[in-house]
Amino acid sequence: MKTVLLVEDDKNQLLLYKQELSQEGYNIITAQDGQEAMKRVNEQFPDLIVMDINMPKMSGIESMSKILEKHKKIPIIINTAYSSWKDNFMSWSADAYIIKSSDLTELKNKIKELIG
Amino acid sequence: MLPYIVKDKADNILNYVVGAFEGGFAILDKDLHILWANEKLADMLNIGYNPVGKICREVYRCECKDDTSCSVMQALSSGQKQVSETRLITEKGERRYVQNITTPLKDEHNNITHLLKFSIDITAQEEKIHQLSLLRKLAELTQGTLQIDKLLHLILTCVTAGSALGFNRARLFLVDKERDIIYGTMAVGPSSMEEATKIWSEIARKYEKLEDLIKASEDNYRDDTPLHMITRLMAYTLSDEKETLVKCIKTKKPILEKNAYSSPGMDRNFVTMIAANEFVCVPLVVKDEPIGVICADNYYSLKPITEDRVQLLSTFANHAALAIENADAYKKLGEKVRQLKDTQERLIRSERLAVIGNMAAYVAHEIRNPLVTIGGFARSILRASQQGDQAKQNAEIIVEEVNRLEKILANIMDFSKPVESVKVTSQINELLENTCSLMDPYFKNSRIELTRKFNSMIPGIVIDPTQIKQVFLNLIKNAVESMPGGGSLLLETSLEDEHIKINITDTGEGMTAEIMQNIFVPFFTTKVDGTGVGLAVSQKIIDDHGGYIKVKSSLQDGTTFSIYLPI
Repeated sequence: MKTVLLVEDDKNQLLLYKQELSQEGYNIITAQDGQEAMKRVNEQFPDLIVMDINMPKMSGIESMSKILEKHKKIPIIINTAYSSWKDNFMSWSADAYIIKSSDLTELKNKIKELIG
Repeated sequence: MLPYIVKDKADNILNYVVGAFEGGFAILDKDLHILWANEKLADMLNIGYNPVGKICREVYRCECKDDTSCSVMQALSSGQKQVSETRLITEKGERRYVQNITTPLKDEHNNITHLLKFSIDITAQEEKIHQLSLLRKLAELTQGTLQIDKLLHLILTCVTAGSALGFNRARLFLVDKERDIIYGTMAVGPSSMEEATKIWSEIARKYEKLEDLIKASEDNYRDDTPLHMITRLMAYTLSDEKETLVKCIKTKKPILEKNAYSSPGMDRNFVTMIAANEFVCVPLVVKDEPIGVICADNYYSLKPITEDRVQLLSTFANHAALAIENADAYKKLGEKVRQLKDTQERLIRSERLAVIGNMAAYVAHEIRNPLVTIGGFARSILRASQQGDQAKQNAEIIVEEVNRLEKILANIMDFSKPVESVKVTSQINELLENTCSLMDPYFKNSRIELTRKFNSMIPGIVIDPTQIKQVFLNLIKNAVESMPGGGSLLLETSLEDEHIKINITDTGEGMTAEIMQNIFVPFFTTKVDGTGVGLAVSQKIIDDHGGYIKVKSSLQDGTTFSIYLPI
């Protein structure tokens, strides 16, 4: 079973993703900010990361670049309400950029595409 | 009783005195018959017959209102010497002002037997006074008008009004320093003898006061008279000093031409355009600077133009020039104020757009996150519930509503997103054509008949084609939506004042004035599912390109949006 790390500061949303992606057959681990995300990656080696950008303590962009320094091959999907980051080169190292929607089909398809 | 010889001498002396007297002299009997008159009286009254035997009033033709203003009647009733001033119209139709002094002659019983009437012609003095008060009145009238067109017409009306300066026709020429020319601006006067006769009799009948005449002529002002149109065609370069108008400008002195048709120095073309053998040109001078010329003639009455009239016209022209200068300054000021207001409005608008944009972005993001959660869980409920279940139906409604909100948010984010524009030289016609072919199926579905009128001469301009296309799409989509039962859509491109103008005209429902005022306000919409950002974004884009959008609309007839992009 593949492990997906969900990084999201909104508890309710995190719960939604956890429920939905579990149903898709993934092992879900979570983090609520950038720092916690780095800790989880180092301890549990997830197969993929779904990362929000606007978060307390450390932003998704910053934590993504730190994670990628050590774990170059881990696929990352940015999942954010902000469309403006899409044009920013800092986000280009992500494997996908998804604008948050209540319809999770796009997110699910992307994960499947990246890790099966 | 004087001895005969003395009486004879006295008669001689009396004759001498009477002969030397520069005025009319008459002896009347009690019934006001003229018993005797000197020769001067006939000259003064301009009568070609001997007045002796006639009644006083028949000969003098005084315009006395009643007996109290008649010196003869007053002298007769009071027994005292009486002085009066009166206006009269001679048999030949000339206006004269006369001072009459009437002295009653009495017998030994103090009964009046005869009346002595002296009359002096005071026309010249009266006219001077009349002219001065007229000039004051005209100056007041012209200084009170700041609208330049109205003022020019007023000036020419004063020149032609019989109760003012009384010329038959008048034309006004103004100097254009930038183009170094003097050009015909306006003309007032009848176009034919027939019209002239009609107008003058009408004027004499209707308008006693100058103010009334001016008011009426203002209401009847027409700029399609032949005289006006010919005058508008006249223009002369200021370097051509042989031209009469230019001469008048350069010398700053009036020119009275008595015989233009045979004068060798006259430019034939100018004479043809003026079409009068006798005319006068007076310069309009402000602070020693000539700004134009008034040209007047008596084309219909053929009345000779006297030096006196020229003088009066010149004095009037000085007042008129000052008034024109004032009105011109006022107009320029008005233009500047309007420009300033325009710029300010644009600034406020773009500032408002920026503030709204930032706020919208913030609100949109804050709302989007909880929406994801709400919608996401609703979908999850939807999947888990059974067909026909109340919960399934409810979840469906939530999902639907969330979808709607998310769509609106996406729109708002588009609006608030700062756009980096990429400007390249583009052909507007091509861009429009491109947009049309993109929308072709949409037109067919909506039963829209499309007409294109593209001006092939319009040059390429530097714009962001994606953004401008977005504007076209927005406006065309609005146009189509305003014609729910189908209709025709007209796309036109043209050149106008250094701008490319793109007209998008529909035959749709049109808008009320109230709606028109608000259409560019962000988030204002009249559509059920509209977000109110389409036109706001369009205007922002056109603003960013240094252009502007104008709208004309009338209910039922449809709407025209005009986009102006600078070349």
